[in-house]
Amino acid sequence: MSGLKPGEVNLGTSIMAVEFAHGVIIGADSRTTTGSYIANRVTDKLTEVHDTIYCCRSGSAADTQAVADIVHYYLQMYSVQNGKPTVPLAASLFQELCYQNKDGLSAGIIVGGWDKENGGSVWNVPLGGSLHRQPFAIGGSGSTYIYGYCDATYRDGMNQEECIEFVKNSLALAMSRDGSSGGVIRMAVITEKGVERIFVPGDKLPVHWQG
Amino acid sequence: MSIMEYNGGAVVAMVGKNCVAIACDKRLGVQAMTISTEFPKTFQATPKTYIGLPGLATDVQTLSEKFRFKVNMYKLKEEREIEPRTLAHLVSSTLYERRFGPWFVEPVIAGLDKENRPFICSTDLIGCINFAKDFVVSGTTSNQLYGMCESLWEPDLEPEDLFETISQSLMNAVDRDCLSGWGAQVTVITPDQVITRTLKSRQD
Repeated sequence: MSGLKPGEVNLGTSIMAVEFAHGVIIGADSRTTTGSYIANRVTDKLTEVHDTIYCCRSGSAADTQAVADIVHYYLQMYSVQNGKPTVPLAASLFQELCYQNKDGLSAGIIVGGWDKENGGSVWNVPLGGSLHRQPFAIGGSGSTYIYGYCDATYRDGMNQEECIEFVKNSLALAMSRDGSSGGVIRMAVITEKGVERIFVPGDKLPVHWQG
Repeated sequence: MSIMEYNGGAVVAMVGKNCVAIACDKRLGVQAMTISTEFPKTFQATPKTYIGLPGLATDVQTLSEKFRFKVNMYKLKEEREIEPRTLAHLVSSTLYERRFGPWFVEPVIAGLDKENRPFICSTDLIGCINFAKDFVVSGTTSNQLYGMCESLWEPDLEPEDLFETISQSLMNAVDRDCLSGWGAQVTVITPDQVITRTLKSRQD
């Protein structure tokens, strides 16, 4: 497993995805760092690989952009010949790339989307290239600070508004503790109807205890 | 990973019209993790002189106490407060004493002398003094602070305007540094009074 090469840009990051009845909510912070310098404070880490399939990117910015571009290409080709791809298919493509190139890549990806067969689903592809379907997934350097909070707060059967609040509060806590995460919160609600983007600016972040 | 970037921090000082201001962030971190948001890095040396100490947190604490001791001893022996310029040389000697095993701090000094003339300077970690007429910066955010101060500072700012200028310089500089921020503290020193304000800032 390699770390970042000198000069490489790091998606420090807090990313998250939650499945609910009608689809998924995905969310991410917006900080990209080169060393301690914040190279981009309004990054969009939620990347489309198909109409209703998105991925959340963490790790090396270059690696995750390249991998996402390749998966996007394959899904374009697939949809021309075979119709709409499913989310597990997209996740499988991410897994193949991340596992076979594990020595050279630094990429932690969460795939979330909607398809007809499965409804909403969330698939975590962490550093080694394993694949895990989960009701909700967290990733990136900031996620370490919110495992307890997420485990304590998550409940099965939350509706769309509750999921959005869950993602917003979790990411705000992670962004507060993790130096490599921050900026704004970008979220996307992915359902049968398509993708609705939500933007939470820095001054509207939920504020928790400060000390 | 540099030892100067282990805890993170930012300090800036500026000269105004018959006043000076010094400001710092309030973050204490261990590399990327934020431990505390109540760790200001400016300390009062005399009623009209402040020292800012960004760098390794343990040395920040130790040196702030060493300087408190030395300033108190100076006052007992000289029966007067230490002047800012003299304090700068005291800081410089204290740091150079450890030339080959240095304290990992890069101090900033701001104050008014006995004629209430403004004085600021900064030193590197082994005591080289930089006497400046406009502003001095230090910490992990120094590059960003140089950019902000160079564009926002102008001479002869009144205390209220100096407060705004130094606050904006600090707040926007630390927003581009992941090791600094999480609150800010600004102290404005005038011949009549010293006002310290805490700024509400981004907590990320």
